[in-house]
Amino acid sequence: MSSLRTTLLAAAATLILGLSAASAQDLPDLAGQEITAVTENAYVPLNFADPATGEGIGFEYDLFNEIAKRLNAKVTWELASWDVMIQAVRDGQFDVGMDGITINDERKAQIDFSDSYLTSQQLMLVRADETRFTDAASFATDPTLLIGAQAGTTNFYVAVYNVLDGDEANPRIKLFDTFGASVQALQANDVDTVLMDQTSANGYIGANPGAFKVVGTPLGTEDFGFIFAPGSDLVAPVNAALAQIKADGTMEALQQKWFYEYNSAH
Amino acid sequence: MTYIPRKPTLFARIPWWLLAILLLFTLGYWFIATDAGYAQIFAAVSGGLGTTLWVTGVAFAAATTLGLLVALARTSDNRILRELATFYVEIIRGIPVLVFLFYVAFVGAPAMVSGLNWLLQPFDTVITIRQFDFAWRAIVALTVCYSAFIAEIFRAGIESVDRGQLEAARSLGLSRFKCFRLVVAPQALRTILPPLANDFVSMIKDSALVSALGVQDITQLGKVYSSGTFLFFETYNVVALLYLTLTISLSLLVRLLERHLRENHR
Repeated sequence: MSSLRTTLLAAAATLILGLSAASAQDLPDLAGQEITAVTENAYVPLNFADPATGEGIGFEYDLFNEIAKRLNAKVTWELASWDVMIQAVRDGQFDVGMDGITINDERKAQIDFSDSYLTSQQLMLVRADETRFTDAASFATDPTLLIGAQAGTTNFYVAVYNVLDGDEANPRIKLFDTFGASVQALQANDVDTVLMDQTSANGYIGANPGAFKVVGTPLGTEDFGFIFAPGSDLVAPVNAALAQIKADGTMEALQQKWFYEYNSAH
Repeated sequence: MTYIPRKPTLFARIPWWLLAILLLFTLGYWFIATDAGYAQIFAAVSGGLGTTLWVTGVAFAAATTLGLLVALARTSDNRILRELATFYVEIIRGIPVLVFLFYVAFVGAPAMVSGLNWLLQPFDTVITIRQFDFAWRAIVALTVCYSAFIAEIFRAGIESVDRGQLEAARSLGLSRFKCFRLVVAPQALRTILPPLANDFVSMIKDSALVSALGVQDITQLGKVYSSGTFLFFETYNVVALLYLTLTISLSLLVRLLERHLRENHR
């Protein structure tokens, strides 16, 4: 265990120092090109505002900055809401967008996706006193149990396809605008579970001591991709850099940093 | 030299703005009828029409009733009533509808349910928060928010009636209630109706905010459809057209009503 930790720490240190293990010579050189990237800062730990400084931080920020560095490009970060973001990327107002966006075929008809940079792992957050179900299977069999989710987000798709019956209009899913509203509804007894990744779950559990717990095993096989305007010439270089980042251990170090070490509930 | 007014020509009398609106509607609905993509969006989104109208209708009727009571308190001779009603109007008017919606849904509703359960203790019945549907919580929030604005409309109407008439009616020995019913109400109505109808149109638009609670209105169905398909621009075109159809037809009715009132008054 300690040797693994040393390896990971070493990898993280490498990352921080910017000494990429793999040589950047086999990647395309974008010669200082300006890339305008957009996200929302509403999805811990992928992209969010640092509670201490208000700065945008997170896994997606670090990952894309690393990609840009290896391609010799400069990133300007912008913010937009979910609804506006995709349309704006489609119109070419931003070069690339990211917000834990699940890759699917319907969406591919509208925009270009990069390769997957993350496969989501969703956990079932429940009230601390929950005893009626212990995992996705026992949740699915009781028709009175409800699940809170946000339309079009990963936790919606995992709820539909991994927990329930694959019907996107299933009345057992209650839709809210934000994670915050979904968790409010869970706390108020309006729904019985909300799906989220480990970091978010830890955050909510830490922020409301004694209110929540996690049950079952991680769910979901949703793949996240960066989005680009159709026909963007950034897709190929970004994919090349992404492949290199996955191969040389940088990706693992980033995931370790944001999904296991970062604690949003200080 | 005397000025002889000439009858305006037909060309000058045509309401061009109305023709432009009709052209816009014709184009919009022609698209929906002929384009398969738009037809599908329309089918998905128009399912929320009933909910939008129902939520708005119920909330407006309730807000008018509550607004009248508040206005009577605002104009009453009892100081305590006046102060309380003024406090209510000032506080409610100062909170954005969206913020208030979350308060009602996640703070007010649970409190109301536990209050009811406390009252129902002797009868051995328990109400769960789930029996208090989100659509009803949205209706409560819209009702309270709009009651404050409507109260001001009523107050202006009541105060527009000359005080001398009230004194005359009272000196004839009419009771307070008869005074209000026979002298104040018929005259105040003329002042009240147009702004009241305008508030109804505003409420149709503000009802889009209930989508934040996942109530399946036009906006929510638009959000769900667009986030699944990424057809944001196209979906919001249809959403806007549906709202315009409702609001403009109502605005035209209000115009007719105003004209009718003016002619009867001469």
